[in-house]
Amino acid sequence: MPSPAPVVAGRDHTTQELYDRVAALGPSPFSIEQRTRALDRFVSLHSGREKPGRFWRVDFESIAPEAGAIDLSAANVRVENHDPAVFVCDLATAARESPELFARAFGTTGIAATKFGSLAAAFAQCGVFVHVPADHACDDPVVIRYTAPAGAAIFPWSVVLAERGARVTIVERLEGGAGAFFCGATEVVTEERADVHYAAFQQVDAGARIIWSRAARPGPEARMSWASAELGGELAASHLSVSIEAPGAEANLTAIFFPRGSQHVDVVSTVEHRAGDATSETIVKTAARERGQARFLGNIRIAPHAQGSDARLRDDALLLSPEAHVDSVPALEIGANVVKAYHGATVGAIDAEQIFYMESRGLERAAAERMIALGFFEPAIERFPTAALRDEIRASLAAKLS
Amino acid sequence: MSDHGLRITNLRCQIAGKEILKGIDLTVDRGKIHALMGPNGSGKSTLAFSITGHPQYEVTGGSVELDGEDLLALPPDKRARAGLFLSFQYPAAIPGVKVANFLHAARQAERPGDLPPAKFRALLMEKMEQLGIDPSFMGRYLNDGFSGGEKKRIEMLQLAVLAPKYAILDETDSGLDIDALKDVGDSIAALRTSEEGRSTGFLIITHYPRILSYVVPDVVHVMIDGRIVKTGGHDLAHRIEREGYDKLREESAVVA
Repeated sequence: MPSPAPVVAGRDHTTQELYDRVAALGPSPFSIEQRTRALDRFVSLHSGREKPGRFWRVDFESIAPEAGAIDLSAANVRVENHDPAVFVCDLATAARESPELFARAFGTTGIAATKFGSLAAAFAQCGVFVHVPADHACDDPVVIRYTAPAGAAIFPWSVVLAERGARVTIVERLEGGAGAFFCGATEVVTEERADVHYAAFQQVDAGARIIWSRAARPGPEARMSWASAELGGELAASHLSVSIEAPGAEANLTAIFFPRGSQHVDVVSTVEHRAGDATSETIVKTAARERGQARFLGNIRIAPHAQGSDARLRDDALLLSPEAHVDSVPALEIGANVVKAYHGATVGAIDAEQIFYMESRGLERAAAERMIALGFFEPAIERFPTAALRDEIRASLAAKLS
Repeated sequence: MSDHGLRITNLRCQIAGKEILKGIDLTVDRGKIHALMGPNGSGKSTLAFSITGHPQYEVTGGSVELDGEDLLALPPDKRARAGLFLSFQYPAAIPGVKVANFLHAARQAERPGDLPPAKFRALLMEKMEQLGIDPSFMGRYLNDGFSGGEKKRIEMLQLAVLAPKYAILDETDSGLDIDALKDVGDSIAALRTSEEGRSTGFLIITHYPRILSYVVPDVVHVMIDGRIVKTGGHDLAHRIEREGYDKLREESAVVA
């Protein structure tokens, strides 16, 4: 039985309880020392999600799980995989039985460097490793489902390694009861010419909180697509990132979110063009209703030597109520001079001319607004994999609009 | 309900406090084609929008009845469901809403459950073929990135699929080439006499007599400065083609 962490001067009681919990954890996938260092970073780092104004209800710097709620055995992890060539296991098994493969992806994306990536690392225990061998095309999507019971705090960690020329679609679904707290991480490594389409979909209970970091590293001429739909929870914060370190890679990032009631959603996307001749396209669609609040921060960074980069960022926000609030902040840092970079952002209400046009075709005003708002999301929905998932997202959005 | 036509009586309308329509009287009967001609800024589109209920157009007097029903008391969607259709001069683009889905929603709104999906699709295909619209348009987003001519064809497709009792065509001819104009003319001719025994009454708004070579009107009205200054037969359109509007403007000034 590991001994409790030493009490450090300056730590308040709540923080000390977190250190005590870390000290009691097992050594996989991170050692106790790594976990403790990760918790140090969580405590000391800023989130980069500072409150932009007084109206903002959520203070990310004060978010932390309650030590008493951290119940690592409470997490339910289920995986659907119909392809025997695709290897799926928990992280401890991966580290033990396929250490070389696991090490090519796990911990290689720098995900644990951020405040909440660090929190995920400090308590990571449940998780899934997906390995797709070279030149194998997996036609059925692999579905990973993490469920947290009401009131529990869980810390899932997903790791994907798609070897050279492999292709796979993964759907990650989160389900949680009232008061559940998720702090998770997903790492994807797509090696040369591999193609990974990773969709995350959550519509957890309205009283749950989710903070998730997702990072990918595509290889030469590889394609990485993130698609994230944040539709549930009282708080949903996610970071989608792709670090392009090899030429010819393609990154597609898509995010859909729709806070209503008192929901708050905070999404950050980051595309780092560290190698040239690569393309990235980020599409974000947000609607907010009632007192829903959302913030989107879209980063594109093109390194000085990344000539020939082509980066596009498009984010649109639809305000459906006078009290709804969306902050949209595109941020481009372009160091190279032979690049294409585009960003466009809109924030506004539904266009009165669109409503009148539909009304003039016999649609009631509410039905017209619903159809226009659903249509607003459609260019992003179409970037999600599988027709069933797209229909599910449409139905979930329609329910939020009704 | 008795068939009284689309009856516009002493209609007055203003936008942002400025009176545009100064007492319009006009009745369109089912199966009849009325052309409403007039120079730019005479109030033709204002008439179209005030009849259909655009929120920016404030009706300050008069009445509009559709087969005896008071249209001005209804919101725009109920006016449409009563059997009124407007082909827009500048149709709104609705990204993310596919043409086929929108048409189905509109048909369902106006005639709930009248066609099972397969029959609706067959109707759509038939009308598209008549209008020379490529089937790929069904999967495109409504008017999003369409050329001017494509938008007008899709307006005509909606007209054909909805088969309203009364249709106002606001400069549907502008931006159309001769072939497209001919298709529009054929579409109107077909609608006049078809669709479950219903015939549509048309109010065709245009600057130019050109479209009237393809759609022969029963009645021609000329609107200048918010008033109808002249009503006549098809020959009135020919007169305008020869003389322009200036002479009529002078005559109306004398009358006023």
